[in-house]
Amino acid sequence: MDKNKEFRHYLLGFVLATVLTVIPFTLVATVGGKIAFLALILCAILQLIVHLRYFLHLSFKGQQREDLQLVLFTGLILFIMVGGSIWVLGDLYNRM
Amino acid sequence: MSFSIRKSLHPGLNLGEEHGDDHLEAETSVFGFWVFMMSDLVTFGMFFAVFATTMPLACCPGPKELFDLGSVAWQTGFLLASSLTSGMAILTLKQEHATRSASTKKLIFWLLLTVLLGCGFLYREISDFIAMAAAGGPPTRSGYLSALWSLVGLHGLHVTSGLIWCLVIVAGILVRGVDMRWKLTLLRWAVFWHFLDVVWIAIFSFVFLGGLL
Repeated sequence: MDKNKEFRHYLLGFVLATVLTVIPFTLVATVGGKIAFLALILCAILQLIVHLRYFLHLSFKGQQREDLQLVLFTGLILFIMVGGSIWVLGDLYNRM
Repeated sequence: MSFSIRKSLHPGLNLGEEHGDDHLEAETSVFGFWVFMMSDLVTFGMFFAVFATTMPLACCPGPKELFDLGSVAWQTGFLLASSLTSGMAILTLKQEHATRSASTKKLIFWLLLTVLLGCGFLYREISDFIAMAAAGGPPTRSGYLSALWSLVGLHGLHVTSGLIWCLVIVAGILVRGVDMRWKLTLLRWAVFWHFLDVVWIAIFSFVFLGGLL
């Protein structure tokens, strides 16, 4: 019973990820434009969550503190370094 | 043991209490691998940042002349399917302990299927690189193309090493059986493999689909 549940968990993740992949590919190939762009970003974020939840089994329920701190700290570093690079160089580009 | 075994010792899929000491041993080894994975994520993040800063200069040839949407869809499909089969391998390990020979065979079947799908991904990716170079888009052409080749190439290199790692695990299991060492290695490899698919979501959305819009 429990085994089947774990199997179905994976399968559900796979189906959700497939749907969230097909939507942006179809929209970019057919519609294009601003709608496709917004759908693309939305689907990417949703699929990221699906992967973390169903494939990597990440949940912060019952996790130890250092796990949460590890992920949050990585997020902070990425935010500062990636966001900062794009901000600074984007600003330079606009001034050129 | 005086303390009670907690169900979840580290992020990701845990072996579970039925695995006894192997489950306890996994705590430090898998958590340590997550630390590495997060530092790798920062590396990928920086490659993305460099790519993003060159995107306004993507021209001549740009995405529209160089990208093959159908091939990117194939690569996405291969990698997603391989993520599922690698998950099936870990479920076989967790639920059936993969110590009986029938169960070990099942585990090896899923691992080899994952390798096959991964090779399909690499084949399409390398063909795309060759086609891109032939269409006037080698990495030396522009800053945008250097960033593109580095980012996608770095991911391809990760996939290649993941495949080699998987083959080493299969060989090790055939020689020594599924002991604690290979169990812990499988858990870490699975985290690595799922992680690569997560990075690919960002690559196909941001680099390929975003470029073609």
